[in-house]
Amino acid sequence: MSSRAAQRLYSTAVKLARTPLYESHVRLGGKMVPYAGFDMPVLYKDQSHIDSHNWVRSKVGLFDVSHMLQHNVSGKDSVEFLQKITPIDLNSLPIGSFSLSVLLNEQGGVIDDCIITKHGDYEYYIVTNAGCRDKDVEFIKKEAANFGDVSHSTFESTLLAIQGPKAAELLQKFTNEDLSKIYFGQAKYLKLSPFGDSPIHLARSGYTGEDGFELSIPSSSEVETKASILFFDSLIEENPDLVKPIGLAARDSLRLEAGMCLYGHELAEDITPVQASLSWLIPKSRRTPETATFNGASTILSQLKDKTLLKTRRIGLASKGPAPRDHNKIFNVDGEEIGYVTSGSPSPTLGGNVAQAYINKKAKIGELVKLEVRNKLRDATITKLPFVASNLYKP
Amino acid sequence: MLSILRPQLLKTTRRFGGRWIHSCAPLLNSSVHRINTQSEVYKYSKEGPLHVKFTNEHEWLAVFGDNTAFIGITSYASEALGDATYIELPELGARYERGDLIGSVESVKSASEIYTPVTGEVIYVNKNLELKPQIINEDPMGAGWIAQIKLEDVKELEADELMSETDYESSLQDLEDSH
Repeated sequence: MSSRAAQRLYSTAVKLARTPLYESHVRLGGKMVPYAGFDMPVLYKDQSHIDSHNWVRSKVGLFDVSHMLQHNVSGKDSVEFLQKITPIDLNSLPIGSFSLSVLLNEQGGVIDDCIITKHGDYEYYIVTNAGCRDKDVEFIKKEAANFGDVSHSTFESTLLAIQGPKAAELLQKFTNEDLSKIYFGQAKYLKLSPFGDSPIHLARSGYTGEDGFELSIPSSSEVETKASILFFDSLIEENPDLVKPIGLAARDSLRLEAGMCLYGHELAEDITPVQASLSWLIPKSRRTPETATFNGASTILSQLKDKTLLKTRRIGLASKGPAPRDHNKIFNVDGEEIGYVTSGSPSPTLGGNVAQAYINKKAKIGELVKLEVRNKLRDATITKLPFVASNLYKP
Repeated sequence: MLSILRPQLLKTTRRFGGRWIHSCAPLLNSSVHRINTQSEVYKYSKEGPLHVKFTNEHEWLAVFGDNTAFIGITSYASEALGDATYIELPELGARYERGDLIGSVESVKSASEIYTPVTGEVIYVNKNLELKPQIINEDPMGAGWIAQIKLEDVKELEADELMSETDYESSLQDLEDSH
């Protein structure tokens, strides 16, 4: 019995970084695995992957995402700078709001995806992927050097995602702030009772398709770190029927069902956001020759203008039987190769399998296709994304 | 080593440097790797199997006096894989050579392939696994058997890579120690 790509991923000699919550994960029975240079929990004892997944869809799951990299960008030239490295329109983004965006290379390819939050006209908070840390920082520093008044810094903290339909009910107990007035896409610094006067960054955000929050809890001193650990531990201990820690395994299946991209799978440096079916990341206001000042604008604008330049699109696939997996080939009923899978797995929410794939645009939603898994062709159906409707808190 | 614990997606992971894998499989105490005496595998013969062998790819083989063998995955493998979501069975009546791919066990995150350590014809497949793949988690060394094979060459059973229960469990201990 063996997996197809039988190669050792990480040498045990690699020294893995630990998040502030590492000891808690171990104590809670987390199976720790190397992920993006960090020792991270993939699953916790007494929960199967499917249990974890379903728990988040019905209750509250806590995800330690402290491995992701946090940035502050400020300065009078910060807007011009950020609008060069991403296609975001910061002038139309209200203060206290965030948006998904992408760091773009000169060809319009995606260096990383990111969340950019506006806290002032010249105050931005950005979160990028752990796996892209080094190249992101190198890219940002290099680009920032071309601007006069831009200050960029990165920092570590306890970054905790609280996800699930009961997340607001849980978190409301810890703050006088009325969370019902903070909608998906909004963020602010507020006080949470366990942390006294220390401002906690709260974003109504997530990567599961469920309602929820991401908290950035300062953890630069021992006292701060202890407080964040205590908060994490007590949420679980005091609410055993409501709150469980959830690992990377369910994080991936939840985002897949929600139709969200994972860098390195749906997104890569040779794929533009338009090719990734993320044209909405380039607002209309940034598509004119004057406003399209972002990297790779000529490529991206021409793809937006002339759809015939795009041969494929990112779309869903549903199937029964063996699950589609990354790199499986897709054929039409005539046997022509028309695409490939970027992520796939059984869907704990829906039953059957779900996948994201790049497929020739001519193939329509609902069309039957053939999927090659272990050298055999299997039936699959082209499906719209997301597979599971998002349950976000919106006005 | 421990190849079942690596999902097949890792080529990209290497390229992009950021994806999890299962590891830290459970350390099992001894006596877990016995054929369930209440199962149809054991009861295939009154005295139970003549002998039970293990591969380092975590398959078991229960050999009977009529020169047939049941094949399945070990308790260790089943635990390490987590919830099985789909089991691909070998083709009934087909002849497989030793080392051939005969099926797979899938969990949400990974697909692990099953190779036969013996040559022969598949005379039975466990259709129950198609309807209830979780049987392979509940009773991997009993009701979760995958196929029964008519052995062509019993000498293959003497191959060095087929281990006794004791040797298999000590190989698991080595795996754990190397983590």
